[in-house]
Amino acid sequence: MSANIINFLIFPGGVFAVLFALILVSLERILVARLQGRIGPVFYQNIIDIVKLFNKETLIPKDAKDFVFKFAPLFGFSGMLVLIYFLPIPGVYSGVKGDYDLIILIYFLALPAISYIIGGGASSSPYAAISVSRELKLMLAYESAFIIIAITIALYVGDGKGVFSLKKIIDYQLQHGAFLFDWKMWPAFVAFLIVLLAALEKPPFEIAHHNDADIMDGYLIEYSGAPLALFEITSALKLLVLSIVFQIFFWPSTLSGDLFINFLWFILKTIILLGFIGITHATFASYRADQGFKFLLKVPLVLAIISLILVLLSIKGLI
Amino acid sequence: MSIITRSPFLFRINTGSCNGCDVELATTAMIPRYDVERLGCRYTGSPKHADILLVTGPITARSKSYLVEVLDELPNPFVVVAVGTCPTSCGIFRDSYAIEGPLDKYVQVDVNVPGCPPRPQAIIDGVAKALEIWKQKIRNQK
Repeated sequence: MSANIINFLIFPGGVFAVLFALILVSLERILVARLQGRIGPVFYQNIIDIVKLFNKETLIPKDAKDFVFKFAPLFGFSGMLVLIYFLPIPGVYSGVKGDYDLIILIYFLALPAISYIIGGGASSSPYAAISVSRELKLMLAYESAFIIIAITIALYVGDGKGVFSLKKIIDYQLQHGAFLFDWKMWPAFVAFLIVLLAALEKPPFEIAHHNDADIMDGYLIEYSGAPLALFEITSALKLLVLSIVFQIFFWPSTLSGDLFINFLWFILKTIILLGFIGITHATFASYRADQGFKFLLKVPLVLAIISLILVLLSIKGLI
Repeated sequence: MSIITRSPFLFRINTGSCNGCDVELATTAMIPRYDVERLGCRYTGSPKHADILLVTGPITARSKSYLVEVLDELPNPFVVVAVGTCPTSCGIFRDSYAIEGPLDKYVQVDVNVPGCPPRPQAIIDGVAKALEIWKQKIRNQK
């Protein structure tokens, strides 16, 4: 097998990514349980869930669009698998080298949400319809902030000319220090954390699904068996992808030239980010839908634009 | 195959209960100390994801159709747990004109958790017993 196939199927994509992402989700559940004074599940709980769901009966509603309903989960799942193969992991994996990966990243990151929208829309449930409209608005709200953050970083790295290569972004930070410790990028960093929570739909942005008192399970309500398992894997992979994106954008520092130590450092950084997500999950209640959209349209967008202005000023040499 | 029995998804339906049992049921999963998540359980928002159905309340005439719909939507194999006195025998509402219970008119009940309301420990014990029965059902299906 050539190196590309191994990278796609075993490490860092494919088997490793799916298992690691599922363990990350379980760790987050354990952290939330511990913060609430409970014991929580075992660390491989979500893997068992997936195995069980693949063994369960799959029900298809009478009114659903059969083909779309069954194959919608594959959109998001395959998109995330490709993206993990595509993205470089600082110090561990060089990714697929290209000059415009950042733009491809922005496109692919929307795929899970699009697959939720297609799947929920095809499932002919009123709850799914409400949830799909919320998911659509949520996506519109956080994508704009994410794109501004990405453009800010591209301008900063290229010193006025946009550099859309993730490899060059990592190299620039390895030479000049991580953006996490650069005060001009701090507003963008806070905006990125908010966008991260909104993209993963963790509280305080648990608006479109897993919101049992409001719209039951949202777009997942009619799913069961294997398609549901694929959706669960997709949302777990999205967590992994966003944590890699966080490390590329803000914290790509490596400890040494040794691949194994860098790999452990990558896992540690991922778990630090997971700790932040777990603490917000255990601390905050969810916004009501309209409050959530208002907050997303105001706060992260303004913070990202502040960073953009600061970066533009520093390029002109004014600060 | 026994590993998959450690991941039951719970769905609860209130069929005209006074909310006493629902409060106890919510506390078993939510409040510190009583933790069903350590058995691998998770509350879901849809009966189509569920393995264990928890029913509270005597089945009132108004809620009967919803109960029947939920029972239709559960994928096989599933286990039904009756929480509280009401779904097992209709309790003090027994002779009312508005009651169409008890639960075993509609489905074979696997575990009864008596009490008005039952203690959280008793509910967790009921869920643990339901897990054993679920394991048996999976084995029989094979």
